[in-house]
Amino acid sequence: MNPLSQAILSGLMMGSVYALLATGLVVVFHTSQIVNIAHGEGYAIGGIVTAVVAGRDLPLWVALGAGIVAAAAFSLMLERFLLRPRREWPINSLILITLAVAFFVRGALNVAVGTDPMSFPRLFVGPPIRIAGGVLPLQGLGLIAIGLSAAFAIPIFLAGTRLGRQLRATAENPDAAELMGVNVDFARGLSFAIAGACSALGALLLVPLVSVDFQTGLGMTMRGFIAAALAGMSPFLAIGCGLFLGLAEALVTTYWGALAKDPVVFLTLIAIALWQSRHIRFGGSLRA
Amino acid sequence: MKRSRILALILAVLAIASPYANLLAGWTPPLATAVCFDTLALLGLNLIFGVGGMLAFGQAAFMALPAYGAGILDNLGVPFAFDLAAGIFGTIALAWLMARVFVRLPGVFFAVGTLGFGYVIEGITRAFPAITGGASGLAFARGRQIDGEVWYGIAVIALVCGIAVYARLVRGGFWRRLRTVCHDELAAAVVGIDVAHVKALVFTIGCSFAAIAGILHAYYVGVVIPEDAGIDRSLEQVGMVMVGGQGYLLGPLLGTAFIQWLSIVTGYAQQYELLIYGTAFLAAVLFARQGIAGWLLRLWRTLAGWLDGPPAKAPPSLRATITANESTERHGDCLKVSHVTKMFGGLRALDDVSFVVGFGEIFAVVGPNGAGKSTLFNIVSGIEQASAGDLHLAGRDLAPLPIEKRASLIGRSFQVARLVPDLTALENVMVRLDQIDPTLDEAERAAVALEQLEGFGLGQLAGRPVRDLPLGQRKLIDLTRAAVGDPPLVLLDEPAVGLTEDELAHLAQVMNQLRARGSAVIIVEHNIEFVASIAERGIVLDHGQTIALGRTVDILRDPRVHEAYYGALA
Repeated sequence: MNPLSQAILSGLMMGSVYALLATGLVVVFHTSQIVNIAHGEGYAIGGIVTAVVAGRDLPLWVALGAGIVAAAAFSLMLERFLLRPRREWPINSLILITLAVAFFVRGALNVAVGTDPMSFPRLFVGPPIRIAGGVLPLQGLGLIAIGLSAAFAIPIFLAGTRLGRQLRATAENPDAAELMGVNVDFARGLSFAIAGACSALGALLLVPLVSVDFQTGLGMTMRGFIAAALAGMSPFLAIGCGLFLGLAEALVTTYWGALAKDPVVFLTLIAIALWQSRHIRFGGSLRA
Repeated sequence: MKRSRILALILAVLAIASPYANLLAGWTPPLATAVCFDTLALLGLNLIFGVGGMLAFGQAAFMALPAYGAGILDNLGVPFAFDLAAGIFGTIALAWLMARVFVRLPGVFFAVGTLGFGYVIEGITRAFPAITGGASGLAFARGRQIDGEVWYGIAVIALVCGIAVYARLVRGGFWRRLRTVCHDELAAAVVGIDVAHVKALVFTIGCSFAAIAGILHAYYVGVVIPEDAGIDRSLEQVGMVMVGGQGYLLGPLLGTAFIQWLSIVTGYAQQYELLIYGTAFLAAVLFARQGIAGWLLRLWRTLAGWLDGPPAKAPPSLRATITANESTERHGDCLKVSHVTKMFGGLRALDDVSFVVGFGEIFAVVGPNGAGKSTLFNIVSGIEQASAGDLHLAGRDLAPLPIEKRASLIGRSFQVARLVPDLTALENVMVRLDQIDPTLDEAERAAVALEQLEGFGLGQLAGRPVRDLPLGQRKLIDLTRAAVGDPPLVLLDEPAVGLTEDELAHLAQVMNQLRARGSAVIIVEHNIEFVASIAERGIVLDHGQTIALGRTVDILRDPRVHEAYYGALA
């Protein structure tokens, strides 16, 4: 077995999930200016709901559907019932709300399903594929293919469709968009629902390989955010940065050990944040 | 001594004695000791996050770090006192270093940067088990030699000292500065606050609280584990400050005591702990933004009012003479703008603009939207740098001076008043004095600011929080702030917009006062009648070009001005 090929293959797998998470975060950020710290909870909810439903001897596709719907509904409800009524609040307070929701969901999942890791059967069953001395399960191949297609579909949707352009108009200038007849509330709700569905999709494809538990969410938010920040909040770049992050993690794990993963990843994040802000003299906007 | 003071003292003594009284199930001396140490750390977080408004999501790392530092040195056989000092001061130095770098990050990047720091520290403590003890942590045998009662005594003394230091810090000029930075960094810089320095200072002070508390906590518990540095702990701390009431002196104490007691009485039910905590946090964020402390404070104010009777009338303010900027001579040329050009990418926002404004003169900058008027103001006040050209104020080159250093020379108001809503009108004006005249003491500052407000006919508003005032009055207060301390140059950005007839007459009066004192006044204004009535000379800009310069009556008659300004109407 070739450790380098193996690291690249698993890096691509994780990277596709990070790309999905990052694009969801970016879409929400653009329509609402909020960095949704509860974003990764969509991943946890999607994965856990699927695992619970699949455990009831229901067909797998029902379980997968339930997972996606649950995560999208969670994300939509967060926007509709907690954030929308408080649109006039400062952004920092809204970010704190998403943080509190992340904690709440974690607590609720802990009570609902306990602390054990959960999983469910793979969607793609078959002999693993061997590439250049590395092994990729068929599920992993499906994950990369579906994950990346979905991640790419989002920027294409934003750029190419009427609805997508409305989302972007909302992002650029909500007041102007509203005057031009864009339903800003609908656009925001839609972006949250899309983001929730995206993170659940990542969970449905990845959880059969690595399992999920009640506290997976925050880590996923962080990974998605790193990729999104690295991309400067651009949806197309976020995909590349998600893949890059996955590869970097896999390579660090392979050559320096799993314990080095978090420090290395977050030192990278700090470096990125500093690089992104090199022209900023202080936090606020500089135009009078 | 006021009766309410005596009552407060009695309550404090009762609170300190309460763990031994068996009043409340679960409220025991060991819990109270832990609460005291955590509160000490949270005082720092309250300073950074509650008062300063910075989203610091990695404070637990600053508690665990000094403990690890001291523990590792102890294991190496280094003398104990040195371990403690190295742990605490090393952490403070690191915090200062991080602060210098991190304060430039806008809100959420700062949050994620500090969060990332938490991850890094937790990861490192796990990654080197030979030094840090890995997952089982680092043990501190020394702490166990001390009795529980003694520990509680240490904890109470540490907390009381911490609260005293905090209360001493968060008042007067430092409080005003922090609130201004928290609310509006740009306005803060324009009134003369070195924003990056203040933020770095607050972050470092906050982390010092965490470092001292962290080391005490570690020796008390006898062990420090990687989770102590982790982001879960950090985010819990943010939640406790929110629940207790962010920005309130007693917020950290109430939040910590409530949440920790709650998890004890729910039987340390590992399974429910997170949910209870999450629910409390969410409820506080959504519905009780003032937290427990805010709610208790309202109750206390009623009680104190009832105990003490109506507050005594404030003593008449002592008169201080305004210390004008004597060093600059008040005649001749004040501002000299020579060949200033500003490019935004390919767009020429200002193209070779030159003019001179004398002391004791009101000068108008006129032009349609997008003419470059705001850019000109931003360059003069230092918010933006000119691409080419020079600026001289009373013969002094402005280029090397950053925004905050220009405050003593230039006062500036904004199109929409940028005041801090939760400070009073007087405090908003004092913020500028804090910066430009550090020789004044608190009473003198208040007196000068009040005199300025009274001089502008706003004296009756001095004690009112700005959030209660209508927009027109806010603009006049913003203008007062720009003029306080008698800067040689005052920039007024559309001062007449949104003012009523009366306020407009008032504005003219105020501007004439400024002129009489010898200041040069530049106004950007669309209200042509007002401009014509008050300014002697002016400049007309269109698309960054100077299309007329000279006496107001002449330039407003210029046909090119009519064409540029009224466009289709002409």
